[in-house]
Amino acid sequence: MKNPPAFFWLKLAFRELLNNRRFSLFFLFNLALGLAGFIALDSFKESLDNHLGQNSKAILGADIALTSYLPFEEKTLDALEARFPQNTLSTRKTSLFTMVATEDQTRLVQITGIEKEFPFYGKMVLKNNGVVESKNVEQSLALSGEAWVYPELLFMLGLKLGGSLKIGEKKFRIADTVLDDPSSSFSSFGLAPRVYLAYSQMQETALLSKKSRISYQRLYRLPDGTDLSGLVVKLQNKINSFEGSDSKIRILTHKRAGNNLGRLLGYLNDYLGLVAMIAVFLAGIGAAYLFRNYLVHRFREISILMSLGATRQQTYRMVLWQLGLLGTGAALIAIIISLAILPLLPLLLKQFLPNGFETQLSLGSLLFALVLGGVGSLVFCLPVLSRIRTVQPLQLFHKNIGQQDATPVLWRQALSYLPLLILSWSLSVWQSHSLIVGSAFVGMLLASILFLGSIAWLVLFLAGKLSQTSGSTMKRLAFRNLQRNRTGAISCFLALALGTLLINLIPQIYQGLQEEVSRPDDFRIPSLFLFDIQPEQMEPLQKTLSAEKVNLNYLSPIVRARLEKVNGNKFDANSKEVSLTREQERQQNFRRHNLNLSYRTQLSDSEQIVEGRPMTTNFDLDSGKPAEISLEVRYAERMGFKLGDLLTFNVQEVLVEAIVINLRRVQWNSFQPNFFILFQPGVLEDAPGTFVGSIGGLVASRRMNVQNLIVSDYPNVSVIDVTRMVGRVLKISDQMVLALRMMAYLSILAGLVVVFSIARHEVEGRLWELNLLKVLGARFSDIQKMIQIEFAVLGIFAGLFGVAVSLIMSYGISWWFFENLWKWTWQTSLGSIIGVTSLSVGVAWLATQRTLRSSPLNLLRS
Amino acid sequence: MILEIKGLDKFFPQTDHDKIEVLKNLNLQVEEGETVAVVGQSGSGKSTLLSLLAGLDRQSSGSLRLRGQEISAMSEVKLTQFRAENIGIIFQQFYLMPHLTALENVSLPLEMFGHKDSLQRAREALLQVGLEEREKHFPHQLSGGESQRVAIARAIVIRPAILLADEPTGNLDNATGVQVSNLLFDLVQTTGMTLLLVTHNTELALRCSRQLTLQSGTFQ
Repeated sequence: MKNPPAFFWLKLAFRELLNNRRFSLFFLFNLALGLAGFIALDSFKESLDNHLGQNSKAILGADIALTSYLPFEEKTLDALEARFPQNTLSTRKTSLFTMVATEDQTRLVQITGIEKEFPFYGKMVLKNNGVVESKNVEQSLALSGEAWVYPELLFMLGLKLGGSLKIGEKKFRIADTVLDDPSSSFSSFGLAPRVYLAYSQMQETALLSKKSRISYQRLYRLPDGTDLSGLVVKLQNKINSFEGSDSKIRILTHKRAGNNLGRLLGYLNDYLGLVAMIAVFLAGIGAAYLFRNYLVHRFREISILMSLGATRQQTYRMVLWQLGLLGTGAALIAIIISLAILPLLPLLLKQFLPNGFETQLSLGSLLFALVLGGVGSLVFCLPVLSRIRTVQPLQLFHKNIGQQDATPVLWRQALSYLPLLILSWSLSVWQSHSLIVGSAFVGMLLASILFLGSIAWLVLFLAGKLSQTSGSTMKRLAFRNLQRNRTGAISCFLALALGTLLINLIPQIYQGLQEEVSRPDDFRIPSLFLFDIQPEQMEPLQKTLSAEKVNLNYLSPIVRARLEKVNGNKFDANSKEVSLTREQERQQNFRRHNLNLSYRTQLSDSEQIVEGRPMTTNFDLDSGKPAEISLEVRYAERMGFKLGDLLTFNVQEVLVEAIVINLRRVQWNSFQPNFFILFQPGVLEDAPGTFVGSIGGLVASRRMNVQNLIVSDYPNVSVIDVTRMVGRVLKISDQMVLALRMMAYLSILAGLVVVFSIARHEVEGRLWELNLLKVLGARFSDIQKMIQIEFAVLGIFAGLFGVAVSLIMSYGISWWFFENLWKWTWQTSLGSIIGVTSLSVGVAWLATQRTLRSSPLNLLRS
Repeated sequence: MILEIKGLDKFFPQTDHDKIEVLKNLNLQVEEGETVAVVGQSGSGKSTLLSLLAGLDRQSSGSLRLRGQEISAMSEVKLTQFRAENIGIIFQQFYLMPHLTALENVSLPLEMFGHKDSLQRAREALLQVGLEEREKHFPHQLSGGESQRVAIARAIVIRPAILLADEPTGNLDNATGVQVSNLLFDLVQTTGMTLLLVTHNTELALRCSRQLTLQSGTFQ
């Protein structure tokens, strides 16, 4: 006996798929949509990541930088630079804060010395000379000893282009003003306007020799493909081995450069990764469900083949071919859809996306989708596939093929889910870039499935009980159908509930994220920020501004301090641990910060207590109790502080003890003066401090007038025009909100298609039974009612519990993944329950229409 | 002798101490070219006997030898191969593959084992059952009688030593049933195949050279 031709089983598999066109098309469409969602999301994510990554590189002006408050020792630098790959470019940069003077005015500025290579990324634009090039730096700054300044400095000091500015010991000619400076990151705008000099000129100011706080930076441009994280670990390990001041050298990567931008970028990446994963899961659920129904109806053909001499392995082979064909076909369709849609995205979103943004299909995600189509569909359907073991050709003599419900061996059944578990886990870890987060996500999904399965069993048990009570015949029949058709009903319930869970999860998480990255409704973009307002200037300044019909908003006191002790133990600001995660990096940064303390009687609109109680309104010195403070929740998490901790601050050499009373969430994008640490009133009022405030809603000409007015009347007050800066940050935030919203809609669409195909297939599978009822004399309306009751029960409970589990899960994800940004929107939850129920009932109604039109003769034929 | 059954038992365990005995101590010998009808009421064990003869199920005890080989001693793979070469099965409900044409359905058991002349032999088989004109038709385009004739062609195309038929006319009207049974017996006579059929139809049973009545799991 010989073996069949090489492609015999493939041919047979293909013929069978062609014969079951409806199943094949639904399977292909369902999986292709999920995979297209994955490719689109992954490519969009990568494009956005690249684009925003370029922005963050522009903020730093490099890929990575080493910074120190002391000049680098040559041997130290050699030891560190030995860790960099070959062909790394480097440049030097120095910056410091100092007062500059004209003949009659002084002002705090940030002096920055650069070399001709700066910046490696991004474009600095000058008013007269346009985009800065190496020759500009060389000729204007280095050779001619000129300076470029921020335009607001000219207003503050009453200077003009060509005028001179004394910096330290040397006078510089102001050659140009800086219109666009990509390195003016969000976090630095609050300090002072910037003055650019040549690096070589910095020495001549004589400022470097004084005991001022100077930041020395070495900026590096790395060759493409360098493993940045790996390099950071190597450098940090080397720095940890140094002694003395060298051990305080800091590593700054472009990803960390814009703290706020980096955080938002992190959210967006994590969220898009999660959505891409959910799109695949949804498609997998739909595919597995469709395949289960298909396979049950194929048991007869499998039995026939086995009775004709096919081995069980050969029948497996044929079904595997079918899965392979469908999976690969779906992946190819998904690729074609993505190829067609993605190039259109930049055109469709032209007004929202930044200049130069291009969506590019990532080859990696295309290949991955292809593999996922083939392997993924097999893995998702493996638990169903294993049911072929229960097919016995002897059933051909018993006329009940496909109806048997042989109990599969438990361990074998459990084993068939193992590849799915491994694939889901690997996918989750890959997309979330975290072993813990990926595992937690899969764990939560698994727990949800078990919980929903138990609920389904309970609902069907209750349906069985209800079928015994009085009620209309069709109602009792509907409940009995649910109870008797337990396997089908539980599968349908699980698929609907999981679909609801997943599609609800996305907007639920989105709500919290949107809250964080979008601005409040009553937000007014600040135009000017005022610093260094002395307490005695408050009243006259406000009067001056009132006369100009301008309001000074969000006036807040600032008192500088250092943290000395935590719960009586000395506080170590320099942890020597290597920062491995984003969280650890932030924690290290925060520990080194000098602190700006403030005090308020009430929280502002952008603040909300998440733990603890409000602070009392006045500190009672005689009580002997420590003062009450409120900490920003993420700051507290990173520093490891909790409610009730006793912190000792050094406020201008006076030790102040304070107890943490509450943790509050701050919406930083509100652009209001916000603080990590807030004291209750009555503690810091006597400490030397200044005030900060903002003025909003000023057009360009008014901004100039108000600036001039403040500068002339209150020379010590620093006024900074933040319009451009705020505008840029908001633009990035808006892009992110748009991306979040688009991805949520895309995934919901994929989910709805899955729910639709599931409900439709379930009714289709019941055509024979419905025809029988017609033959027995049931009225059309009765049959419709019965079906609708069944699907309404499944839909309501699946929707209800799917939403409930999604709320728990989204809270968990938000708490762990997105730093506790969670907000319940009851509208979304209610909409999901109503939507899933309506969809189930509606699809059932649509499908029964076909049965009602068909002749009962079909029953006789079948 | 082509088939020899000795002390054949088949029971289905229900609980630890309970079982349903479907076939009890059956003994049967069938010579080559013989036609045997097994009749009996529903639940008498006819279908179970046919499953055992077709090698689709295993007996609980006793011996079942086909062409001198003990079926219960064969591995699953060996049994599958043995069935494909020696046993043709005709079902009451035809069981044709819906997505294959009449010709493809008939050639399927040959193609599965790589016979190069499978199509030629399938055409010959269709010619034998008088359906050469219908070779490109799909099962849903055929009448009940035609479908059963295709099923017969599929069963004989492998040139089996024994043909097992489960109520071959049970799903057909009287006239068509007679046509199909005429065809079946003609083929058996022409080819010299052994036929064992299970039926309720007394007329059909009487056309066989021997009739056996199965009652409560034993031959009467």
